[in-house]
Amino acid sequence: MTAATEAPRTASTSEPGAVAARVRGLRKTFGSTVAIDDVDLDVPAGAVLGMLGPNGSGKTTLIRMLLGLTRPTAGTVELLGRTGNDLAAALPDVGALVEGPGFHPFLSGRDNLLRCAAAEPRLDGDLRGPVDAALERVGLTDAARRRYRGYSLGMKQRLGLAAALLVPRRLVVLDEPTNGLDPAGTRDVRRVVAELRESGATVLLSSHLLAEVEAVCSHVAVLQTGTLLVAGELRALLDADAGGLVVSTPDVDDAILALREAGTPSYRAEGGVAVPPGPLEAPEIVAVLVGAGVAVWEVHRRRAHLEELFARLTEEDA
Amino acid sequence: MTALGTRLETRTAAPLGRLAAAEVRWVLRRPRTLVLLTLLALVPVALGIGIALTGGPGGGDRDGPGLVAAVVGNGLVLPIAAMGLALSLLLPLTVATASADALAGEASHGTLRGLLLAPVGRSRLVVMKAAGVLTVAVLAVLVVAVVGVLTGLIVVGGPSGTMITLSGTTLGLGEALGRVALVAAWTVVQLLAVAAVALAVSAFTEHPLVVLAAVLGGLIIFGVLAAVPSLEWLQPLLLTSGWGAGTDALRDPLPLDGLVSSTGRALVYLVLGVGITVWRMRRRDG
Repeated sequence: MTAATEAPRTASTSEPGAVAARVRGLRKTFGSTVAIDDVDLDVPAGAVLGMLGPNGSGKTTLIRMLLGLTRPTAGTVELLGRTGNDLAAALPDVGALVEGPGFHPFLSGRDNLLRCAAAEPRLDGDLRGPVDAALERVGLTDAARRRYRGYSLGMKQRLGLAAALLVPRRLVVLDEPTNGLDPAGTRDVRRVVAELRESGATVLLSSHLLAEVEAVCSHVAVLQTGTLLVAGELRALLDADAGGLVVSTPDVDDAILALREAGTPSYRAEGGVAVPPGPLEAPEIVAVLVGAGVAVWEVHRRRAHLEELFARLTEEDA
Repeated sequence: MTALGTRLETRTAAPLGRLAAAEVRWVLRRPRTLVLLTLLALVPVALGIGIALTGGPGGGDRDGPGLVAAVVGNGLVLPIAAMGLALSLLLPLTVATASADALAGEASHGTLRGLLLAPVGRSRLVVMKAAGVLTVAVLAVLVVAVVGVLTGLIVVGGPSGTMITLSGTTLGLGEALGRVALVAAWTVVQLLAVAAVALAVSAFTEHPLVVLAAVLGGLIIFGVLAAVPSLEWLQPLLLTSGWGAGTDALRDPLPLDGLVSSTGRALVYLVLGVGITVWRMRRRDG
């Protein structure tokens, strides 16, 4: 365990304002299709950044350019302080699981990882220690000697995660890490991300599971058809999006009518009426309702969820 | 320990020796490699048994076609005949398979991405892959040669460990084995030319079958072109047109011009193939 969980020796990631990765004016076209259109994005050091977007929004293309797997049509990429032709020099400190796990079916999980370990610049001497530690970290020790051919989707995903965690990393990039995982596997990924964050590493996670991102991420970036819609700290984005009231009442029709007369639109919501942010403040709304004889059981401020934010952002633009 | 730590922290690529060793281990554990090597071992055995059954000293049909007929009662010719037969299809198939798996196969499994992200430098990657293919080429020829010598001596037999050349002279065991080794080395070079071209195709595709089709199709087209009399001027350009030169090792004195010119041609293919592979792999998306 020790080799894989100790803090990265070169981690100097906690200084404020430092970025683990940065792209500027990034653009990628495939023929006439624009996959990524002029994206600027910072991944702050020490952050867990969730990259969200519908299928085909360019998440994977962006990640591939960040890692130097695809050449940008235009724009610059900076990875752990390295840019241009020097980008690959950052890769020994970067662990990645991109576009699903890739392994050889005729080898066991352990032999596949040994092969990966042989290519890791940061490993020396006996490779079996780090490999077994990584297998244990993702809960694959029991299946380590079985052929990859017979692995379930979730086990394959776990092995891909193990390969990304073979050595202590400064940045870990996980493209749809919970794909095909059962609830226990999802929990394991969450635990691993938390461990990485505690060790000072930066995590870039792409997902379309919004609850997943909301649970583990400190930052989000939302992509839609190759354009970055919004990026920033998750809390701040949600707070900015919060607002309005939810009123619990059995007299829904009376409530809507009364509010309409007072110049405030409202709509039916579960157990009562939802009032979007408008000209009236909360006490005035309650006064209007009570004045109209509506039975008010409970009033609370609506808390924004990532799901609503995401839906609003992506549908607005669509 | 600190010195080791610092060196590791600044290292940007794994040692080439470890990469090559991992690659060779991977190649040799592939079931298809083992199947092809087994098939290659069967070539001299089948040839030897066939000759022992139908020929034999005195009763042989010595009017039969050239090389195979020369094996009758002359066991040390068997490895050379077997290498010549295998070079026409099975040996190229073996190295083409290795080359196809080396880049196109890795790309189709998604493992090429892992290697590029490790990172294995793109030029290093070609060196590592070439080491694997080279191992297969050498092993494949060695299997045919060694099994050929053993089968020749045991099954076919001969005039007490000597070789009767096509020119009618007799070579001692040492010189006969030297001739076998010469043909083996020459065959390896010809195979490396095929492998380098296959590797170049492999660098452009992620479908291993495309590589096999290109190599086998290419060999067949070369054969067709060589058979058209009006295209005789093409002959010096075709890799396969020098492939009869292996038989020269059975003449006494040894004529070198065919062996030398076919080796030169193979080296041109080899350099072109490796060059294109490196050029492409430095640009390829992972």
